[in-house]
Amino acid sequence: MKILGRNRLITPVIIQTLKAHPVILALIALVVMFSGLYPERFLTPLNFSTILRQLVTLTLFALGPSIIVVTGSLDLSYVGIWMLGGILVWLLMPILGMFSILVIPLLGLATGLLIGVIQVKGKIPSFILTLSLLVTYWGLTATLSGGYPKPVRGYEFITAPLIPYLPTAFLWSIPIITAAVFIMNRTRIGTYLYAIGSNEEGVQLAGINVDKYKILAFTLSGLFTGIGSIILFPHLGSAAPVELLLDNVVWPLVAIVLGGTPLVGGSGGPQRTILGALTVAVVWRGLLLSLLQPEAIKLLVGLLLIVSIVVGARGLKGVTIT
Amino acid sequence: MARLLLSREWLRRNMTTVGPMVAAIAIIAGFQVINPFFLSYQGITTLVYAMSYFLIAACGLTFVIMTGSFDFSVPSVLKLAALLCVLYIDKLGFLVIPLALLISVGFGFINGLFVAKFNVPSFMATLGVSVVVEGIALYLSKGFLHMMYDETFRALATTFIAGLPSIFYWAMGIWIISTFIAMCMPFGRHTYAVGGNPIGARLSGINVERHRIYVFMLSSFFAGLAGVLYMAQLGGGSMLIGADMPIPLFASVVAGGTALTGGVGGPHRTLLGVIIITWIQAGMLMLAIGRDTQMVIFGLIALGVAIATIDRRRIKIIK
Repeated sequence: MKILGRNRLITPVIIQTLKAHPVILALIALVVMFSGLYPERFLTPLNFSTILRQLVTLTLFALGPSIIVVTGSLDLSYVGIWMLGGILVWLLMPILGMFSILVIPLLGLATGLLIGVIQVKGKIPSFILTLSLLVTYWGLTATLSGGYPKPVRGYEFITAPLIPYLPTAFLWSIPIITAAVFIMNRTRIGTYLYAIGSNEEGVQLAGINVDKYKILAFTLSGLFTGIGSIILFPHLGSAAPVELLLDNVVWPLVAIVLGGTPLVGGSGGPQRTILGALTVAVVWRGLLLSLLQPEAIKLLVGLLLIVSIVVGARGLKGVTIT
Repeated sequence: MARLLLSREWLRRNMTTVGPMVAAIAIIAGFQVINPFFLSYQGITTLVYAMSYFLIAACGLTFVIMTGSFDFSVPSVLKLAALLCVLYIDKLGFLVIPLALLISVGFGFINGLFVAKFNVPSFMATLGVSVVVEGIALYLSKGFLHMMYDETFRALATTFIAGLPSIFYWAMGIWIISTFIAMCMPFGRHTYAVGGNPIGARLSGINVERHRIYVFMLSSFFAGLAGVLYMAQLGGGSMLIGADMPIPLFASVVAGGTALTGGVGGPHRTLLGVIIITWIQAGMLMLAIGRDTQMVIFGLIALGVAIATIDRRRIKIIK
């Protein structure tokens, strides 16, 4: 009798979870498919550890922007913060020593604040604002570095392996993700940001200072990207890159949308982005292991992007500028 | 006093026309002072080459921005059209040009479909399509540099007529046609209406969704045409074609006075914007300012013109 009761409870809970997160189904299907097609390559500890590494990269890049997508705007500046931050670390290394890594969160904070103030006061669509800033940061990075990647020594201890097959960067990212999820789900700031995403005019009429909270959202996004970049910097090779890859910009966005944060805003959030990032990482690894041509892989992931965007934009009405 | 007020009032009302003109004259004068080579015959040929393909692509993008949307895929479609020409001219001959244009228009149709029917934000939709287009371009070209050996094809853009290369006349022709479409044809009036007030446009009987699709198709068609002619101009190319284009292209349309909010501006204004942006680019190249520094400058210019042109009275909420 007891067992029956438990069964009655478990099934609806599973159905409820799957309804709320349809991406889980896709994730399971993908894992089963890749395991079935080439188990000898896919079902290895090394592969899972690589998937986790990719997950860390995607999640840390996508964490800040997913806060912004909840409010209905877009933030593309994350790769710029990571790139410019890396070159600033290289520049400041002789002066500040090991403390120079702290320049990345400061840069993130300043960038977020700047974007927020310009977006709110200048009323510029956030995507074009952050895109221009991203290109500016890219150019600054390349100018400051003289056109070559600059390796920085001394931060390898951050990602030094502790547990076999479990990337240390993954352990580091857990408190950061928790902080973001906590802010979005358990504080007044988070509630207001969800409200701004679903009905900005209504929030304004309710007497909440929308401008203040939007600036706060962009600042938080920049700060989370900055803190994440401390880990991403050694995680992605301890060198300040000088070339902007469109993939680095696009994939965190796909992780956000695929995770279930619609571009219109108002729902979703950082906790869902992790799921999206995991799906993207599995797809990426699965396709890489499939021994297809690299060009064909690029084409396939592009199609995935389009599908996820179309799915993520369901129910978007009355948005003129985007 | 009254005259002064009047002139100030006039200036404020015509800022979007006067501003770009002053900027263009200042840029030409400035570069001419720094580098006397700027306005020599060869200098002008360089400037014309730099602006022509850009103007064709920018005219198409202008229509999209006039409707209040954005087309991120223009540089990618341009790249694909250019690479299609160089890859298949041996097999197909000149049939490759209609093929490239047809494929370009097809991607424009997909863009429009996503934006108008699926309600995807135009920026995200066109970003996604451009990733696919880049993927196809990479798949076909394998990332190599391909050279164009067909001299008749190259003559499309490089024949000199009255001292200027023929791509300049193509660009001027496209610019005049675009201006004519925007000013004198129902298509243009509908574009302004859709950008200015989509609900009003729908109520007055315009099929807004279909019109948005047409606009994206037009944009991609011009992007494809620019790609074909650019390939004829360059005589070869790789995946790097149009790689640095998105921000300057956007900046040139907006600098001309077509605000991101839609409903104002037009292709006739884009000519000035293209002159400003591409001549800054060419001038900086003549002064040996590198691509990296150019990127910083164009990023800031794009930001500046977006802030300067946007119409804040018309929008309450901006995301």
